[in-house]
Amino acid sequence: MDNTDRSLIDAHCQGNRTAFAEIVRRYGDGVFGYLIRMSGSREQAEDLFQETFKRVHEKAHTFRGTQFKSWLFTIATHLAIDNLRRRRRVRLVSLNQKVDCDDGTCEGLNAIAGTEGCYGPSEEAAMSEQKEQVRQAIGLLPARQQAALVLAYYQQLSYREVAEMLGCSIGAVKTQMSRALRTLAQRLPDKSGEVE
Amino acid sequence: MRRHRTEQELIKYQFKLASDFRMEEANEHLEQCAQCREHLEQIRRKFAALDLLREEITVSDDLVARVVEQAQGGVSNLTLKKRLIRSARNDKWRWIGAAAAVLVVGLSLLLVFNLPKEREKKREFVKEPTEMEGEIKFEKGAEIRRAEGSDKGVPAMKTFAMAPSKEEARVGKAFGVGTSGGIAGGAMPEQPPFAPASAIELVTLPRRENVQLTIYNSADLTLVRERRNLTLKKGWNWLQFMWANTLIDPTSLTLEPLEQKDKVEIQQLVFPARLRELGRWLIRSETDGRVPFEITYFTSGLAWRAFYMGTLAKDEKTMHLQSYVRVDNNSGEDYENAQTRLLVGTVHILDQIADLARRQYPYDRSGPEGTPGGSVTLEEALEAPAANVVAFANGLAVGQQLELQPKEIKKEGLSEYFLYTIEGTETIPNTWGKRLLSFESNDISVKSLYKYDEERWGPQTIRFVAFTNDEKHNLGQTPIPNGDVKIYSQADDKEYLSYVGGTGIKYIPVNEEVELDLGPARLVTVEPKLMDFKTENYVFDSKRNVSGWDEVCQWQIEITNTRELPIEVEITRGFGTAYWQMKFDNKDASYEKYDVTHARFKLNLGPRGKRVFSYTVGTYHGEREQVLTELTRKGAAR
Repeated sequence: MDNTDRSLIDAHCQGNRTAFAEIVRRYGDGVFGYLIRMSGSREQAEDLFQETFKRVHEKAHTFRGTQFKSWLFTIATHLAIDNLRRRRRVRLVSLNQKVDCDDGTCEGLNAIAGTEGCYGPSEEAAMSEQKEQVRQAIGLLPARQQAALVLAYYQQLSYREVAEMLGCSIGAVKTQMSRALRTLAQRLPDKSGEVE
Repeated sequence: MRRHRTEQELIKYQFKLASDFRMEEANEHLEQCAQCREHLEQIRRKFAALDLLREEITVSDDLVARVVEQAQGGVSNLTLKKRLIRSARNDKWRWIGAAAAVLVVGLSLLLVFNLPKEREKKREFVKEPTEMEGEIKFEKGAEIRRAEGSDKGVPAMKTFAMAPSKEEARVGKAFGVGTSGGIAGGAMPEQPPFAPASAIELVTLPRRENVQLTIYNSADLTLVRERRNLTLKKGWNWLQFMWANTLIDPTSLTLEPLEQKDKVEIQQLVFPARLRELGRWLIRSETDGRVPFEITYFTSGLAWRAFYMGTLAKDEKTMHLQSYVRVDNNSGEDYENAQTRLLVGTVHILDQIADLARRQYPYDRSGPEGTPGGSVTLEEALEAPAANVVAFANGLAVGQQLELQPKEIKKEGLSEYFLYTIEGTETIPNTWGKRLLSFESNDISVKSLYKYDEERWGPQTIRFVAFTNDEKHNLGQTPIPNGDVKIYSQADDKEYLSYVGGTGIKYIPVNEEVELDLGPARLVTVEPKLMDFKTENYVFDSKRNVSGWDEVCQWQIEITNTRELPIEVEITRGFGTAYWQMKFDNKDASYEKYDVTHARFKLNLGPRGKRVFSYTVGTYHGEREQVLTELTRKGAAR
């Protein structure tokens, strides 16, 4: 583990408030990006983000491992998967269905996409549409497949690290990834967002 | 060609999901099959769509502040929502809750209207602490504020500046780096503040501006000099340095301002009781603002070693030598963009730095305190080296330099040590190693030599390659540090290499010859045979016991060279006594007395050659030794 992590956790456990703030800053971007990709909504990601670090704050004294990052992402993953499952009980979105932007989903998408300013309105709209298709394709994956994909592909973690975070074997992670990719191969748009 | 790969197989290949065997198999297939390559390309294009969502996402400072505040006392939105959802699920409990709320409100109103006047007075009395809360809030603000210039996500190395304690803040003193409530223009207290021993509120410092590592190879010792810009407030400032989980020697810590030295004074370094692995500097500053500081200390866990690769030409008369250095970091600390200097030479240290780093308290060793090393003090180590800078990479031809663009390693004389400075900076994260080319030299004249000495290596021939570290051999610019060397030779015209042997070399000064021991040779053999043995010239004492005699041995040495190249052979024979005489008459070989008990033969053999020579050696024992001594004296007198 990065020794700075250990020092920060120790300092936090001893009551140093700044240490906790430092932990949040240190891993904030990574965790927030992960949660946005998992939830597809900035609003939900913010809630999950707060909850993740609240748990870190409360449970830091129980951390005995060597990989703080893995531990942190494990917490975030559990929360994100719970959130996905809870949400899916309520609502499923078809790829062909027009997206309702009232729930903040579009906001989350734009947060990921960062489309502004680079292209003309028509190209921007085309790219935005493709991004939405990608997001929805990922969003429709089963929770664990989605988590495996986001951790391995977007967070660029090794399969071993992903296995640690999901609490399963490397083989199981590869199986989840394989299934996710097989599904995505059917659902992803043909063009990779190239704007002519 | 075997069957085409399915889409699923290609996806697994693309995302490295298949086993090593399958990956290799697919790789081989793809090399041959254009159709599958095209299919794979289509899959890559399809999955490139995933990259549309790869943009960098950053978390806002506002959210971080909210999270910190909420974690330290509040309830998260999600928890709140979950609670709401749970309560909504059960109408019964909701109604009970509502009824209870009405009851509580009613009771509260009743109490308010019936409060006696004395209670109101008491409430007025507790207003004063409410004003103090404002100061506490200010401190909270200071806690979560990042020090100016600090790098997001990369905290400074366990170095912190302390914010003032609440008490100090209340009385208007200005201590610590990073508090906004300074006393610019106010009076500075003469007495230094007491260093609190309990957990304190800290503000992180900016990251290192630059760092220099001087790594010794003879001891587990590295000198670290790092520069950081601290933002000081006028008055007393506390600076905390933590070395938990690193191998830093706390007794070697020094801190020096690099500017405004007349206005900034380092008063003391305190190791608070009961707090482990941290120290606090007290700094008195007569200025507000940013001041660059240099922090210096010893650490262990960083090491470097040299190693070499030599490639012999086909005729084995010349060699191409490449020298590398490998730097390994197991110090527990990441060093980013560090200027790295490597020191060759033996240093004497009293204590191992790693032991000092692991001690419970910095000064718990009995005996003299202060510097960790006996011979090497921090001051000595910091001394600027002599200015005689020589490029270490001079052996490179210009074209090769352009092609390889190795980082230049400069050499400097430093007392009796040599210092190699790696050009530019290197990032060496903890647990990582890094290999760098230090020099390269072509056409070094070498001598291939085979040695036979039963007393040292048993009945086998050992192969050596010899050269001198001087300008004549395209070397000699610098001494060559210790390290392992591997020798290859060009096996054919296509310049395929074959491994010849490897060995370790010791420090080679300039103009010194070195022989590289490449291990046993299979193609050159030396076979000594004892052809005759007899004893003679017995001498008896007064009791008719044997008191002296001679032994005469006749040896035949057969040398076989099955190589296609001419070779030079050196055979050393020992006799086990200083009293010996040899009869040797051979025109093709020469012999010399190597030392008092050994003789050495040297001879050359042509390709696929064989040679046999004989010698007779007589050894004198007991009283006969005196006879040889007299014979030698007479011979010398003549």
